[in-house]
Amino acid sequence: MTLQQAMDRADERPRGQLAISTAGLTKRFGDRTVVDSLALAIPSGSVCGFVGPNGAGKTTTIRMLLGLVRPTSGSGTILGGSITQPATYLNKVGALIEAPAFYPQLSGRENLKALARLGRLPLSAVDPVLERSGLLARAGDKYHSYSLGMKQRLGIAAAMLADPRLLILDEPTNGLDPGGIVEMRGLIRSFAGDGITVLVSSHLISEIEQICDYVVMIRAGRLVHQGSVGELRGTQQPDFILAPERDADLPLLTGLLQEAGCMVTQRPAEATVLVEAPGFGAADLNRLAARGGITLRQLAESTRSLERAFFALTGTASADVPAGQEMGAIR
Amino acid sequence: MMWGAFTSEWTKLRRPTLFFSTFLGLAFAASLFVILMFSQATATGGLVTLHQLARPNGLVIGVARASMLLGVVAFGIAASQVASEYSLGTLRQLLVRQPRRAVLLAGKMLGTITFLVLALCFAAVVALIVAVVAAQSRHVPTSAWFTGTGLGDLFRELGDLALATIGYSILGMALGQFVRSAVFAVIVGFAWLVAVENIVTRIVPSTEQWLPGASITAVASGGVEGVGYAHGMILGAVYVVVAVAAAMTVFLRRDVTA
Repeated sequence: MTLQQAMDRADERPRGQLAISTAGLTKRFGDRTVVDSLALAIPSGSVCGFVGPNGAGKTTTIRMLLGLVRPTSGSGTILGGSITQPATYLNKVGALIEAPAFYPQLSGRENLKALARLGRLPLSAVDPVLERSGLLARAGDKYHSYSLGMKQRLGIAAAMLADPRLLILDEPTNGLDPGGIVEMRGLIRSFAGDGITVLVSSHLISEIEQICDYVVMIRAGRLVHQGSVGELRGTQQPDFILAPERDADLPLLTGLLQEAGCMVTQRPAEATVLVEAPGFGAADLNRLAARGGITLRQLAESTRSLERAFFALTGTASADVPAGQEMGAIR
Repeated sequence: MMWGAFTSEWTKLRRPTLFFSTFLGLAFAASLFVILMFSQATATGGLVTLHQLARPNGLVIGVARASMLLGVVAFGIAASQVASEYSLGTLRQLLVRQPRRAVLLAGKMLGTITFLVLALCFAAVVALIVAVVAAQSRHVPTSAWFTGTGLGDLFRELGDLALATIGYSILGMALGQFVRSAVFAVIVGFAWLVAVENIVTRIVPSTEQWLPGASITAVASGGVEGVGYAHGMILGAVYVVVAVAAAMTVFLRRDVTA
């Protein structure tokens, strides 16, 4: 199943059923409020991106959902079970929390067997999840000999062990090389194809944009936005990428757009300009260029709009900026 | 449900490095005590006399004398097994698969206790074989060892050693639960059992009968001077119950952030 097909399928699903819902979920460590009155509503069957800067409270929220951390206040349900009774739903949940953690002296297979025995799951479930995560050939090797990518894949295999209806993956691409990131994305997309609800946290918007159909954004422990990716894009004034037919016209095009009140960023390497143009549509920009005698070879909405939406909603210039550190304009 | 936690713990415990180092290490320690005892024994002195070794309980004297060392090793292994779940971060994986924390902790404790008791039994068997060989080399008569009285002493002593190992293991696991660091748990445990209790007892001898290590050692040895067997058994049981209750309370309430 392609990503587009998965997204189309997600759009067709009734949004009434929620895999995860919380109300007023709060966690304080001493005087520090890490998660503040969080109200999540994540539809069943969605691939939901959980986005926020480092330190925004994503991992603490996930730990509360998994029963590892006790909420200070608030309530919630996961797959219909109360978060105060994690035993009622965790048999249908798989999770990868931060860095994968296994016994170094055991093989990948033995590590999964230990988890299977603990959860009273059939040992016959171990090899299929190893195969799906691409680790079967190295399953007999000790965990400490694995590369970071293999450790992540074993973490995913462990999460899949219980044949889950909900997968919670906390920064699953952390530390992976570009090839590993692409592999991980493919794996997550394949879960969506199986109808599993996936909650995937990340501080990398571009990553979320590529695999998710639903997004929850938090900052400093508070909910900033939640909704479908399409809805989020719809709330934002789109940016445009313009490319003149002749590269030499780039300065002239930039001048025309700036005179019209647009914010323009030149991208000489691509011979394009990125235009933030409140109140302008594609036709307006095309007309503006034609009036200046410039023919456009490209006029497209910026694919970075989700990232820009995040920045606009969270007030940060980078998803990595620690919570509380305000930033100015993005250009 | 606890069976799952128990068998899962055994999957971890039977890894070759831990399994062989524990079983062979305890066997070596117990055998070393037996060899030293027989080699140093004379007609009138040494750790024990040759006459004492020829008595019905002569077969198990060496193992009994090694009980403190065996107990300290069991304590350290138990403490590190619990604490390492925090330092490795594996506890969060375990709690996702078994969110009933009391069940998880009980299963893990039972797994570790059975592992250490089996290791102790193996060590005792090896040490007893060594004792028989050592007796031949020192011309110690062994006929009394295999009488009804001798075998009764043997099984009673092994039972006491097993009880002591359970006590040391539980105290070790409770400490590991509190400190959450394998290295720190082992250092604190060793320091307390080997040094602190000795120092306190030397300064204030009357405290010996109230200290946890001394109580459990008394059980292992069938009673020692200053701490009777029954007293050691009751006080040791109290310490064990308090340790289990405290470890369980902490584990049930603690946020797992590792």
